[in-house]
Amino acid sequence: MLIRRCSALLAAAALVVGAGACSGAGASQSASKTLTIAAVLDNNSFDPTQLNIGNQMQYWSPVFDTLLTRDKDNKLQPWLATSWKYDAKRTTLNLELKSGVKFTDGTPFDATVVKDNLTNLAAGTGQNSYMSRSIATYQIVSPTELNLKLKAPDPGLVDYLASVGGVMASPKSLKSPTVATVPVGSGPYELDKTGTVAGSTYTYKRNPGYWNTAAFPYDKIVIKPMTDLTARLNAIKSGQVNGTLTDTNSLADAQRSGLTANTTPVNWNGLLLMDRDGKLVPALKDLRVRKAINYAFDREAILKNVSHGQGALTTQIFNAAGDGYDQALDSTYNYDPAKAKQLLAEAGYADGFAITMPESPGFAQYNAIIEQQLGAIGIKVKWVKVPANAVIPEILSGKYPVAFMTLGSQSAWQDIQKAVTRKSPWNPLKAGDPQLDKLLATAQNAPEAQLPAAMKAVSKWLVDNAWFDPWYRENSVYLSDARTAVAMQAYNVAPSINSFSPKE
Amino acid sequence: MFRFIGRRLVACVVLVVVIAGITFLLAFSGTGNVARNLLGESATPDQLAAKNAELGLDKPLLAQLGTWAEHALHGDLGISWFTNEPVAQAIANRLPVTLSMVVLAVALTALISVGLGVAAAVRGGWLDRVIQVLSVAGFALPNFWVALVLVVFFSVTLGVLPATGYVRLSESPGSWAAALVLPVASLVIGSTASAAQQVRGAVIDVLRQDFVRTLRARGISPRSVLFRHALRNAASPALTVLSLQFIALLGGAVVIEKVFAIPGLGTLTINAALQGDVPVLMGVVVTLVVLVVIVNLVIDVISGWVNPKVRVQ
Repeated sequence: MLIRRCSALLAAAALVVGAGACSGAGASQSASKTLTIAAVLDNNSFDPTQLNIGNQMQYWSPVFDTLLTRDKDNKLQPWLATSWKYDAKRTTLNLELKSGVKFTDGTPFDATVVKDNLTNLAAGTGQNSYMSRSIATYQIVSPTELNLKLKAPDPGLVDYLASVGGVMASPKSLKSPTVATVPVGSGPYELDKTGTVAGSTYTYKRNPGYWNTAAFPYDKIVIKPMTDLTARLNAIKSGQVNGTLTDTNSLADAQRSGLTANTTPVNWNGLLLMDRDGKLVPALKDLRVRKAINYAFDREAILKNVSHGQGALTTQIFNAAGDGYDQALDSTYNYDPAKAKQLLAEAGYADGFAITMPESPGFAQYNAIIEQQLGAIGIKVKWVKVPANAVIPEILSGKYPVAFMTLGSQSAWQDIQKAVTRKSPWNPLKAGDPQLDKLLATAQNAPEAQLPAAMKAVSKWLVDNAWFDPWYRENSVYLSDARTAVAMQAYNVAPSINSFSPKE
Repeated sequence: MFRFIGRRLVACVVLVVVIAGITFLLAFSGTGNVARNLLGESATPDQLAAKNAELGLDKPLLAQLGTWAEHALHGDLGISWFTNEPVAQAIANRLPVTLSMVVLAVALTALISVGLGVAAAVRGGWLDRVIQVLSVAGFALPNFWVALVLVVFFSVTLGVLPATGYVRLSESPGSWAAALVLPVASLVIGSTASAAQQVRGAVIDVLRQDFVRTLRARGISPRSVLFRHALRNAASPALTVLSLQFIALLGGAVVIEKVFAIPGLGTLTINAALQGDVPVLMGVVVTLVVLVVIVNLVIDVISGWVNPKVRVQ
């Protein structure tokens, strides 16, 4: 009797499952104008002061317009700002604005709204508040025109206006208690609250009053946070999602499954030689020692074996798509351990020396290589174990002379602010050099036409003085299925929503 | 019976308080980097200090614990430091997901393990040996590996079941069931293997006792001896095993949720632990402890009801 009842229950369950299977798997295929993607992280916030670039960009890019945008060739293009122009001193940026744009709560977009958003961002505590902090005052010329008066020239400002710095939200929403969960933008989509469960699914439906609907082919966007790489791969292989980020280790498997790998080199992998003044390890003050470290690594072998050849060898920190990149510098330090040893001997360190480095579980595959290749020229590494979520704070604390890092790279000035100036967070021991200061000042004040040359001069100085030990620019790999085309962006690991389109 | 339940309730409250306290102290010992992780690399020392003050991290540890406990007693579990989601809401969203999975897995485990355990104990012979071999195999296979194999076969190769995700029951019962098939199967294979062995042992023990021999001597049918008498006596250890399975399955669900990208408490816990999101971690731990305590209490009460000797103990 019991067994009979059990059988009946199992049969009923099988029927339910069978019914569900039909509606569950491949649901995203039922609507061709729906884009479903798996994101690496959950959304942190829709509060414009808390928005981040990287993987978080996918959550906010459907709902918020930015003042400028970047095209597929990484060139800045008009968006809510129809034109932008600096004065001769590069301390006043004039913006002409699009008219007739409305936020989803009905508030019209105008120059006052731009001021409200930029001041709100600067006053906030988010990671990207710096993006509008160079603005001293706002001169509103008309509802469609304003001047941003800067404290000093800021070569990164227009780049920021195409990113978090240029996000425009309805001013009414900025101080709302629901600002973190209910975005009110003028973007192509609105967050669909009924289809959204935090941590699980974020659904976006078309903004019916959008001014540029044609640029966004999808009627509906669904973003599912999936922190586990295997889950993301299974989701795209089984047709549940149209796109997702992966790593170079799983690339071959993904390609065997018929997925398209879209790549862009955003991060550089290598060592941060932070103790350039020799505060922690005197040997590192000697340029010959820093050059020796640059010669010590077989970049080609590391790229081939650790990152499966997905990237390009480099010795500079600037993004290949930006102003500061100089291809001629990329072969400055080819693998030459004999030369490295000779340089160490000339510097008086023929017997080597020891350095302490943070050992992160996230970079475990590099630790043995670092230890072996530095050991081969006589530099002994002492590791200090650091939890994965504490790696960045630990490195930025200034406790370590050298650290391995995978560092994102955007525009040259952004990278300079990040890692090169005496105040830069990724220059935690606050190293500096008068000659470098001059080059930075020249770059900061350079007219637009001379900016690339000025940035390249900075890059050459950094390479010549071995301030860093970059090995290669690693490809960020974004997978897409047969129905989805993706245009990768030079400055962001994950493509934003306007980078996706259905394949015909 | 009421005194028995009362004693258990007091023990439960003490357990919740102790575990919450220990978790708090452990979790807060690693919060030194939270402000930096939240504010990013360009944050100044002043901004970091302001953030620490905003989160209450500048106060002594016991004061922080007191504040948290006071709010928690009023039902306020705080707000996630990293996603700004109210912790109570985050748990309310995810608890049904995990419970769907675990309750289904426990129910199926009970059903299958009792069936297999009783069959192995009563029939013996080749059936017993086959069930034992399968049990050992099922027990030895890690559930995440089973999960991956099931996904590759049923989702990627055959495409008949979803590889990831969860659909709310209210949204679509069919899709809800489909989403749960593979995760539940991954959990059930291991837990059934273990529980079936326990049921088999308990039934064999009872069937060897004198009263069973007496019942048989009185001419009571074998079916009646088995289902009315032997199983009732074997129920107590079996229920204990199932309550332990529930706890084990909650633990197993953490891994399974990760493999299937199911937005349950397990995923929430892992993400909170990796980021150092203490309010979320505390909320989840307290919820899970209360859940485990309730299950144990219910099992204790059922055991006491089925077998009065348990109450005396």
